[in-house]
Amino acid sequence: MKKIFLKNFLILFTCSLLFTQCKKDLLTIAPTVPISSADNYYRNELEAVNAVNATYTPLSAIYNGAAWHLGDIMSDDADLGGGGGGDGLETAELDNFTVTSFNPIIGHIWAQSYFGILRANLVIEKVPLVPEMSDAVRKRSIGEGRFLRALYYYNLVRVFGDVPLYTNIITAEQAATIARSPKQQVYSRIIDDLKIAETLLPNTYATNEKGRATAGAAKGLLAAVYLTLGDKTNAALKAKEVIDNRATYGYDLWAEYGDNFKLENENGKESLFEVQYRSGGGQWSDFGAGQKMNTFFAPRAQDIVQSSGYGWNVPTKDFADTYEKTGAGYNTIIDKRRAPSIWIPGDVFGSYTQPAQLVGSPLGLNVKKYFVPIANTLGDNGGWTCALNVPIMRYSEVLLIYAEAAGPALGKPYADQVRIRAGLAALPAGMSDTQWLAAMYKERRLEFGFEMHRWYDLLRHPDANYFITVMRAAGKNNIQPKHRYMPIPQGERDKNANLTQNDGY
Amino acid sequence: MKMKTTLLCLLLLCGTGLQQLMAQNIQVTGKVKQRSTGDALSGATISVEKNAAATITDETGNFSISVPQGSVLLVTYSGMAPVRYPVSRPGPIEIFMEEQVRNQDEVVVIGYGSKKRRDLPTSVSSLSAKEIKAAPVADAAQALQGKVSGVTIVQNSGAPGGTGGTGIKIRGISSLTGTNNPLIVVDGYPLPDQQADNVLNSFGTGDIESIDILKDAAAASIYGVRASNGVVMITTKRGRPGKTSLTVDVYRGLQQAWNLPTMLNAREYAIINSEARIASGLQPIPKLADFNAIEAQYGKGTNWLDEIYRRAAMQNVTLTASGGSDKAQYLFSAGYFKQDGILYKTDFERFTLRFNGDIKVNDRIKIGNSVSASKFIEHGADTYSAFNSMNILALTAPPTVLPRNADGTYAGGSGSVDGFNEPNPIYQLEVPQNRNIKYRVNGNIFTEINILKELKFKALFGADYNVQEINNFSPATPSSGGRPIILTGYSVQKGVYPDYLAEYTLTYDKTFAEKHKVNAVAGYTFQENRYSYVVAGRGGNFTQNIPVLNDVIFRPTDISQIYNGAEDGINSRLMSYFGRVNYDFDSRGYFSFSIRRDGSSNFAPDNKFAIFPSVSAAWRLTQEKFMQNVSWLDELKVRASFGYTGNPNVAANAYIQSINQTFQYTFGNSTGSGGVVPGAAPSRSYNPDIKWEKNEQFDIGFDGSMFKNRLGFAIDFYQRRSKDLILYVAPPFVSGTYESVPFNTGTLQNRGIDVTLNGTVLSKRSFKWNANAVISAYKNEVVSLGLSAPLDNGFTRITGGSLRTIQGSPAGFFFGFVTDGIFQSYEEITKHAVQTAGNDPTTSTAPGDIRFKDLNNDGVINDQDRTNIGNANPTFTFGLTNAVSYKNFDLTIFVQGSQGNKVLNFTRWYTEGGVSNGNYSNAVLARWVSPGTSNSMPRMALNDPNGNNRVSDRFVEDASYLRIKNVRLSYTLPAKWAKYIGMKKTQVYVSAQNLATFTNYTGMDPEVGGAVDIGFYPQARTVLAGITIDF
Repeated sequence: MKKIFLKNFLILFTCSLLFTQCKKDLLTIAPTVPISSADNYYRNELEAVNAVNATYTPLSAIYNGAAWHLGDIMSDDADLGGGGGGDGLETAELDNFTVTSFNPIIGHIWAQSYFGILRANLVIEKVPLVPEMSDAVRKRSIGEGRFLRALYYYNLVRVFGDVPLYTNIITAEQAATIARSPKQQVYSRIIDDLKIAETLLPNTYATNEKGRATAGAAKGLLAAVYLTLGDKTNAALKAKEVIDNRATYGYDLWAEYGDNFKLENENGKESLFEVQYRSGGGQWSDFGAGQKMNTFFAPRAQDIVQSSGYGWNVPTKDFADTYEKTGAGYNTIIDKRRAPSIWIPGDVFGSYTQPAQLVGSPLGLNVKKYFVPIANTLGDNGGWTCALNVPIMRYSEVLLIYAEAAGPALGKPYADQVRIRAGLAALPAGMSDTQWLAAMYKERRLEFGFEMHRWYDLLRHPDANYFITVMRAAGKNNIQPKHRYMPIPQGERDKNANLTQNDGY
Repeated sequence: MKMKTTLLCLLLLCGTGLQQLMAQNIQVTGKVKQRSTGDALSGATISVEKNAAATITDETGNFSISVPQGSVLLVTYSGMAPVRYPVSRPGPIEIFMEEQVRNQDEVVVIGYGSKKRRDLPTSVSSLSAKEIKAAPVADAAQALQGKVSGVTIVQNSGAPGGTGGTGIKIRGISSLTGTNNPLIVVDGYPLPDQQADNVLNSFGTGDIESIDILKDAAAASIYGVRASNGVVMITTKRGRPGKTSLTVDVYRGLQQAWNLPTMLNAREYAIINSEARIASGLQPIPKLADFNAIEAQYGKGTNWLDEIYRRAAMQNVTLTASGGSDKAQYLFSAGYFKQDGILYKTDFERFTLRFNGDIKVNDRIKIGNSVSASKFIEHGADTYSAFNSMNILALTAPPTVLPRNADGTYAGGSGSVDGFNEPNPIYQLEVPQNRNIKYRVNGNIFTEINILKELKFKALFGADYNVQEINNFSPATPSSGGRPIILTGYSVQKGVYPDYLAEYTLTYDKTFAEKHKVNAVAGYTFQENRYSYVVAGRGGNFTQNIPVLNDVIFRPTDISQIYNGAEDGINSRLMSYFGRVNYDFDSRGYFSFSIRRDGSSNFAPDNKFAIFPSVSAAWRLTQEKFMQNVSWLDELKVRASFGYTGNPNVAANAYIQSINQTFQYTFGNSTGSGGVVPGAAPSRSYNPDIKWEKNEQFDIGFDGSMFKNRLGFAIDFYQRRSKDLILYVAPPFVSGTYESVPFNTGTLQNRGIDVTLNGTVLSKRSFKWNANAVISAYKNEVVSLGLSAPLDNGFTRITGGSLRTIQGSPAGFFFGFVTDGIFQSYEEITKHAVQTAGNDPTTSTAPGDIRFKDLNNDGVINDQDRTNIGNANPTFTFGLTNAVSYKNFDLTIFVQGSQGNKVLNFTRWYTEGGVSNGNYSNAVLARWVSPGTSNSMPRMALNDPNGNNRVSDRFVEDASYLRIKNVRLSYTLPAKWAKYIGMKKTQVYVSAQNLATFTNYTGMDPEVGGAVDIGFYPQARTVLAGITIDF
């Protein structure tokens, strides 16, 4: 009897196990969000365009988190400012030339540039193979990939010198062994990419696509690259090509300098290329869709921006003193570029008056260029990050590239266009080449103040020691020749034995 | 013999009937009493050794049973030591029982079974209902603190209801990237890990019968891949046969902060702040320039800590009814707990219900259930973020700023007038309204079927159903200062988190030839977890400030005004097989082997199943002949165990390479928030071989008692090694990807010792004194990080340091600079390595600044001069309980503490200068002002040019403490009085929680979860009075 019972039991027990779903497939659950791998993506125009869009994304992070630290604060235009103490130690390292290979800002521009480069390589390699997409979008997309790859490498080569150069889709293993290529090779890749990009990219875009790279942007960037390399002939040729065809691209100067930095004029007639932002949330971030300079540059703790303002990137006395003025005080500056560029004591905004001094800003100076107040009329709700775009290249730069490269005789009328808009007199005729170069440096400094160009201008000067001379004069006694290039991030060298360090670090 | 079979539901058949041979019997009658009180014990079980007969005592403690001549009665009663009583006459007899001081006879709940402590070959610690009840807390985990060896409990905060979380770490941490919370099993139901620490505050503490903690691998490995942090087995109370009993317990208490720091008053603040500004090359803030005027206007000024802290009430009511016959028993309980927080505007309120039942259908079948339902409502405040923690705001708000204007409207600091515009703490507590409601139903039903006398089948089905609703409402409210909310925001998150369990076990229990006892378990379980929530929010100008999502109240015109999100259906499943064999030889030797095979849906296809075996053995030396002469030793057992457990720690789909489709960029002339387009690109590499973490543990233990059982002990030595640690290896960024890829690499080790001692100091008829001591110590070491680079967890807001993990050191030590006094002169500065170069004291190092050690001797103080400056692991933790009873009085004093643990005191970073125009700690009054005035507190300079505030040993403090955690005095009314007023038993009590804390730590509370004190909610001192009535 017992045996029969046991047998019955075992049969039923086994059945009950069957009810309880003991199949291995139960342990395989399909993801609720479709997961695509690199092998099954890039199937249609939508996915191709998404791949292109992602290639632009690192720009927002680079301009939020590194471009102004390197381009402005490291130069003689600005100092860190901020709250002092532990506030911005990593930026202080750049400001004071005590930078090490562990500096996170250096790491940031390195990393973000390579994110852009991998994505550009994917676009350049995958988009030609996409089965279904219009020829116009395909052509444009490849052009955007080329343009952006050139822009990212241009950032890297100016900051680090020799860098790993690759134009294929790289694996993590390959990335752990790649060595640095000489900067000449990097520059020739940049030039090749831009030459291809200018043939593929459209001249203009429909309103909702504005902000994508154009043929004019590729030519303008190419002119800047030539000027950086000291190739004045090609720089002048390229710049002139843009100037002569300005109607085709729709380029012109705004009547007022300050029009460039208004929300309503984004991607306007003076813009060749700019970083696109939208307003963000209740905290600043380098990585969101919003622009954080509004929070970081506004006068510290004065509550004219939503975050109260951090007062970083404070203009130096030397910078403010460079403006032409009629008297001793800053209130006698006649250069119309001053007011849209910097706050001086006594500047009024609504009920706010800029004080004579602030924490981190002993002279009461602050950057005003990216100022979006707490509440404005244009739908930007004034969060901790704002929607205002940041120019990478404006038409006035094309004029000044041409003026500098073509020399005083040919260049003067173009430089004068920029000066006259600023409310200044035309330059005197008959300047020597040396005088002309100095005049062009001064003009660029004021025209592009806090547009993150100054440090690179100091570096590309024909006098190789120019940046050292200028920075010593600005009281930065730690500067040394090694600071022409930033150190290769140590974290990267830890993962790649073939990555050599720059001299002196 | 007869037999019939029956089908029961979908499940099974059952059988009834049993063989019983009736011999020459006598009818024995008697009464069971408690020796200390003389009270009759109702519901005591009387069974007969080697015989199936059993009965229970009635409500007056009487029993009657028919037994063979010469039998031995075994009398058991929960909480009492079992009594063996040889029957020589029919009676009536009187049997006295004594309360059990945790001894070797207590029954310990282990996974899928239970065992007497004496027969355990593994390491398990236990806590009884009485000890849990003594602590007036919402989260039972807090009652474990200092009570069980090998378990480190850190209350992360004093937030009401334990909502700040309670960290339970059994024998240190086992994972660097996965959970370090133990698996918690309630009445056989393994609760899903909730990542956060507070899983137990939705269960009524009064319902808990016992908590057993499976510490070594051999005890825990039956729970396999989830058990590497140990297992906490919670058993709730059940009904007992006998008369219905009704118990009501009520207490009310008052809580108060006991250690609020002293900040500067208005005049001192004006002096120090002006001095700090001048030292930075700034003019003093005009408002603060005249110290006398400030004093005249503000007096001492606003004491912000007094503004936000208050005396707060708490109360608890528990009602428990239980009873039943020998066929069916039940327990019903209802509880209400309400705790106001000592921080203004915070509170916690909870309702609990429980129903546990058991029905004996016939001799073969038993059916039962355990079901609990709870709801809690919490109103919290931010006391955990480094940005807006209420404590940080209150510590830094200047005394010269008022919470309200004369007309009652909100005030606060103004950037232009006060140089300080952080939110006004009172505004921040009153205006934004946060509410967190959680409903939880946890329960199971089971059936046990005795297929044969030795073979039992059990099927258990359960569910753990959590529903949570979080509302955040921040109405636009004007204020003349601070940072008022100008746009109303409202968001609601609703989440449903169900979890289901099915479990089948077969248990075989037989003794062969009287000496060979075999117990074997085999089982299968299946558990499914689902995680889904929806969140919706709006922000803008509401037409009325009421918290609803309604177009009439606010119609969004722009996508930036809407927030929608959902995490919809993240499922995971776990399918497991397990088995265990225990073999006991003659109550002398014990051997156990267990194995579990777990399959998880999160694991990669090639690594779906993980296997975890364990072995353990024990030998009772005192049962051997050669030990019989050692009269002082009553019991000595030597145990050894070895086994494996796991930590699943694998994110779903980690083994798939994916294109990240969450990138964004903006096109078009977007003036606001339009124009966003999606982007897609790979952001990580992948690892197809990823699998669980494996923990290997070796344990040797000694249990025993001596001096006629007056001193009991349990000592364990262990080594735990987590192998195949999952570490996220960062790719080189040149790869174009940035997400770290999980690899099974690296080893983490803990070696330690757990000691429990319990002794009877005095045991007279009317005076008893028992003492219990618990000490735990372990050493944590990262043996290897494998492929991973050192791990750095930076500190929010503080630069220049981190919690760092490197090979050869304890995980997560403080990484920062080493201070070396203060520069008294420029001469000393010139001699030392360069800190901040320059001659201008407003922008560079000057006398009065801190000297940091140049550890790499390169002449420059920079990041390379950082080192290990201590860690949060205690050298040891301890608890000491003294329980004294005299006649009807009981006094318990419980002391608990931690030695050698370090804390990075972030509140000092904020209040000792160099950060903002905010207020300062009064410690800065002893600052450096001229040579020789201080060698520890630097000069005050607002912009801190020297970086005195960088992470250094300056802020690392020894947070060792000794705390009189609980003192409880109770008085039991004499039985006669109780009876006179119609009650069985009445006890009144008073108790004090956190009566005194001895520590050198300067922050608000030395008990800091997570190593960095950012001004957490401090624990309150609580005084309460209560009454327990048994009807």
